[in-house]
Amino acid sequence: MEFTLLGAVAFAAAATAGVLWFEAGRTNPPGSTRRLADAALAATLAGLLAGRLAAMAGGGTNPLTHPADIVIVRSGVDTGFAALAALVVLALLARRGPWATLDGLASAALAGLAGWHLSGVFRSAWLGTPSDLPWAFAQAGSAVTRHPVEVYAAASLLLGAVALHLWKRRSPRPGVVGATALIVAAGVRLATEPLRLGLGTGPEWWYTAGTAAGLALLAWRLTRRPAP
Amino acid sequence: MPRLIVLLAAAALLAAACSSAAVPDDEVPALPPTDAGALNALLAASDRPVVLNVWASWCIPCRSEAPLLRQAEAQFGDRVRFVGVAVRDDPGAARAFVAEFGLTGLDHYFDSAGSVPGGLGAVGVPHTFFFAAGGALVYHHAGVIGEGALALQIDELMRREG
Repeated sequence: MEFTLLGAVAFAAAATAGVLWFEAGRTNPPGSTRRLADAALAATLAGLLAGRLAAMAGGGTNPLTHPADIVIVRSGVDTGFAALAALVVLALLARRGPWATLDGLASAALAGLAGWHLSGVFRSAWLGTPSDLPWAFAQAGSAVTRHPVEVYAAASLLLGAVALHLWKRRSPRPGVVGATALIVAAGVRLATEPLRLGLGTGPEWWYTAGTAAGLALLAWRLTRRPAP
Repeated sequence: MPRLIVLLAAAALLAAACSSAAVPDDEVPALPPTDAGALNALLAASDRPVVLNVWASWCIPCRSEAPLLRQAEAQFGDRVRFVGVAVRDDPGAARAFVAEFGLTGLDHYFDSAGSVPGGLGAVGVPHTFFFAAGGALVYHHAGVIGEGALALQIDELMRREG
């Protein structure tokens, strides 16, 4: 793993841990932070493994014959499979209190994602399609100004994290905050994808499915009668 | 619960293992030898921008970026020339690497002494260099390159050429 990627991971992990620490005792029940952090860590590792294996298979590398390649995650993690595996593991770990866990991790997960996107600035991977907007950036030595697309994504996710934190203080129905976080995470990626440069491998349909799943989950939690 | 996670991981690993070599080994010709001087001449004579990837079959990170280079060549190969230089490698292993990832769209060379990256001031592998038509260096990416950075630098090259 490269140092720039390690930095990105550290950035995201610090953002997640920082928000969990901030929320402890404010919106998350006192004493739950460690359990939530463990669940987030397990889900992240499972998602990373599944996403890496999917990307290796897609790229033509057999993980059984090249097991050492699994740890080389740069440029090779399928985000759709990663998100799915992370959610499955989270659901398994939190099966005794799924809504409280989802709601407890919602803001932290969005902040972690924001940290990840912002780290693109340090990995030469934060500029997107050309733009003439006043805040567009050009890379050194270039006259072409471009959308700082990863900054857009990071700012939107951070805004979402703050909004959900404030909303959670008003004790909405269980699961509503978690479902909204899923909509924000997938929706931000879906909305910013057209501004990214890629090689035609962007899994937009995963982000569409994630947004739709979040909306369905939100509708279900809002219409469900609260337990007596 | 841990048993279930292990089972899921094993299933994912087996499913992912169902992959094969993109091109038979014997369809990949021997990689012609090159050095810093010969490569500079090639770059200077190119009427198209060049993406130069320095790799080795023993370099694990190089395996990560190989599929991206294949995709980039398939998408932009008509406007940008893609060149690969295998350094400090075994000729047979280098050919097998090209076959495994189906990198036959790139023009590959073999640099047994590693003089190409040395001449460009780079140490180790992988490295990706982006040259304008005529051989002027535009950008040097040290280490594994990701999809976003690769697409961005290719876009920069193509816009320079108009």
